Amino acid sequence: MAVAAVHSGGIAGHIHPEPQGFVRRYVFSLDHKIIGIQYIITAFVFFMLSGLLAEAIRTQLLNPNGGFVAPGTYNEVYSVHGSAMVWLVIIPLLTGGFGNLVFPLQIGARDVAFPWLNMLSFWIFPVAGLMLFSSFLMGAPTAGWMEYPPISLQGAAGTSMWCAAIFLVGVSSTITGINFVVTILKMRAPGMTFTRMPLFVWGQFATAPLLMIATTALAAALAALFIERQFGVPFFDPTKGGSPVMWQHMFWFYSHPAVYIMILPAFGIISEVLPTFARKPVFGYKLIAFSSMAIALLGFMVWAHHMFTSGLAPFLQLPFMILTYIIGVPTGIKIFSWTATLFGGKIHYSTAMLFAIGFIGLFTIGGITGIFLAAIPFDLHVHGTYFIVAHLHYVLVGGSLMGVFAGMYYWFPKMSGRLLNETLGKIHFWLFFIGFNCTFLPMHWLGMLGMPREVATYDPQFTFWNRFESVASYLMTFAILIFFVNVLWSIRNGRRSGPNPWGARTLEWQIPSPPHYYNFKHIPTVYGLPYDFSQPLPYKGLEEELTDSPPPVAAGAH
Amino acid sequence: MSVAAIGADAHGHVDQLYVETRELRLQGFLLFLVSDCVLFSSFIFAYLYLRNSGQGWPPPGIQRLDVAFAAWNSVVLFGSGATMHYALENFKHGNFIRYMWFLLATIVLGAGFLGGQAFEYNHLIFGEHVTWGGSGIFGASFFTLTGMHGLHVFFGVCYLTVLVLQSAAGVYTKGKFFGITAGTLYWHFVDVIWVVLFSIFYLI
Repeated sequence: MAVAAVHSGGIAGHIHPEPQGFVRRYVFSLDHKIIGIQYIITAFVFFMLSGLLAEAIRTQLLNPNGGFVAPGTYNEVYSVHGSAMVWLVIIPLLTGGFGNLVFPLQIGARDVAFPWLNMLSFWIFPVAGLMLFSSFLMGAPTAGWMEYPPISLQGAAGTSMWCAAIFLVGVSSTITGINFVVTILKMRAPGMTFTRMPLFVWGQFATAPLLMIATTALAAALAALFIERQFGVPFFDPTKGGSPVMWQHMFWFYSHPAVYIMILPAFGIISEVLPTFARKPVFGYKLIAFSSMAIALLGFMVWAHHMFTSGLAPFLQLPFMILTYIIGVPTGIKIFSWTATLFGGKIHYSTAMLFAIGFIGLFTIGGITGIFLAAIPFDLHVHGTYFIVAHLHYVLVGGSLMGVFAGMYYWFPKMSGRLLNETLGKIHFWLFFIGFNCTFLPMHWLGMLGMPREVATYDPQFTFWNRFESVASYLMTFAILIFFVNVLWSIRNGRRSGPNPWGARTLEWQIPSPPHYYNFKHIPTVYGLPYDFSQPLPYKGLEEELTDSPPPVAAGAH
Repeated sequence: MSVAAIGADAHGHVDQLYVETRELRLQGFLLFLVSDCVLFSSFIFAYLYLRNSGQGWPPPGIQRLDVAFAAWNSVVLFGSGATMHYALENFKHGNFIRYMWFLLATIVLGAGFLGGQAFEYNHLIFGEHVTWGGSGIFGASFFTLTGMHGLHVFFGVCYLTVLVLQSAAGVYTKGKFFGITAGTLYWHFVDVIWVVLFSIFYLI
């Protein structure tokens, strides 16, 4: 009888038996929540490693003549730092990490569409990460995270290892992307129409196709570079008829959308945190949702704005400049919507909220300098200088990483059942915020003055600001140490959070923290948007979630 | 015979779990094909980019490719697309024996295409000394793209062979045959890619 009932319910009624034993439960887990946490832990380990590389860079730049590491080693250090931060930290944290952890709960599903693929996708990731760091053993790549030929063709054996590692991590991303698209399209709870989905789900929904499509384009570029390096088959070597500029096209056709892979989920996190702590419906729900899709689409049409100095045909320059301005419009819509969400709200300055508000400010700076850079004359002036370094760190640290921290403080109770310590959290925020701005703001004017990026030494006239930045970067690292201490301490000693410590209204907060392996006892029915704080919750069928009623019947072994 | 409802067993009971899981798998598989298509598109972009950046095509010292032979070989591959289509249709209608014959025909034609490709490679490499690494961007783009496609055909042939064994073992039933549907989609996908590759390498 039980089996028949489960089968008639289709996937929503299909519940795997509870996994038994440590390995099944926490190591080779099929549970999206555990996989999400695995992603987050692994990515933070890589974050520490590439953070150390960042500090090696800043230590080198304390003096105009460097002296901390040899110039060749310096090239390896910044190349691996950039690659690891992009592919092993930010992308896995925001998609595999928070994506896996949160969005299936928010759409009222029991798991993602393909749990086995999800597990595979996770386990590729640490392997690829170790491969990338192991490239130091054989001479790491030296051409930056973009690995432009011809330098990448001349690089040591580690460059081929880099290709293989990034290729693998791309396979993992592609699988995740396919999994997420199908899950969001097919596994929403009854009544969860597209225009009732929480904005974090929209962020993932806009990101997943990029993961799926753009990453494959990168895979082609990496395969070509690998083949050329290992077998001498010419694609990029101009002496054999190849074209180095073609690499830039292939690379940026992926890597510009990748910028949005790294920011759209963070937009989603911010869109959850802001209304919750402002106690106000999010302003312009549909605008925020649809502008994410617009960004995802336009993101494929602007890649060549990275190549204004690469000899791009003049008739192509103007369209790419204009399209880049246009993509600023949906981004601006979001910034205004978030600001309007805060306006008149009863703001509760929790740590998550501080990071979210910090995000708005810092991301706006990063976005505006992006608009500067879209202007060809300006780009020609600052291309390859520290202005670019400042711009991309304002977007990726001030934007994506602040989003990650907001998400960590916001969803940590859902992961662990305990709150992160707010006092340590606020110290973390302020030290990080000050340290970050003092590190990267002066880079804007260093870049305007012409200090080139990716060089181990610099002109002595830039000494003061470089020392200032290095000292500030140590402060930032110290802030991150506080964050790790906070996490490790709070896992055991944090205040118990209960199911819904923030009074938030999305579905994941209506079930226990941490949720059961089956997520929901009964799949709820959704009647409206989650952001109307003046209304009763728009869900039905959640009455038993917080009671001691027995768990749903498992479908038996499959 | 008539076509059974998806997920139905011999008594007409529909397995709802199967129906919904199949939906997911179908969509996931189609998305996989989309991303695979991007992989080919990127290399096709690379080929066209290199082709238009040099001094004419084919580059000096290299013969034009032999259209006639490749055209016959394409006919073999497209024929296998037709037999695959009939294999699936016959399975849906319950004509198991005819399904097996069409499936085997697809495998033979697919293997025949690979044989033709091997013959062409042999001719190019040993007859005209056009190689992967030694003939500039011509060898690089031609062998990479057609080789990638050949690998896809090879995996397809392997998969169809598995399908034969599974079908003989009775894995697929009238209402539950997603493995065959996926194989058919993949095979048609590989065919379509070849239409593009044939056009850009042999015709233009």
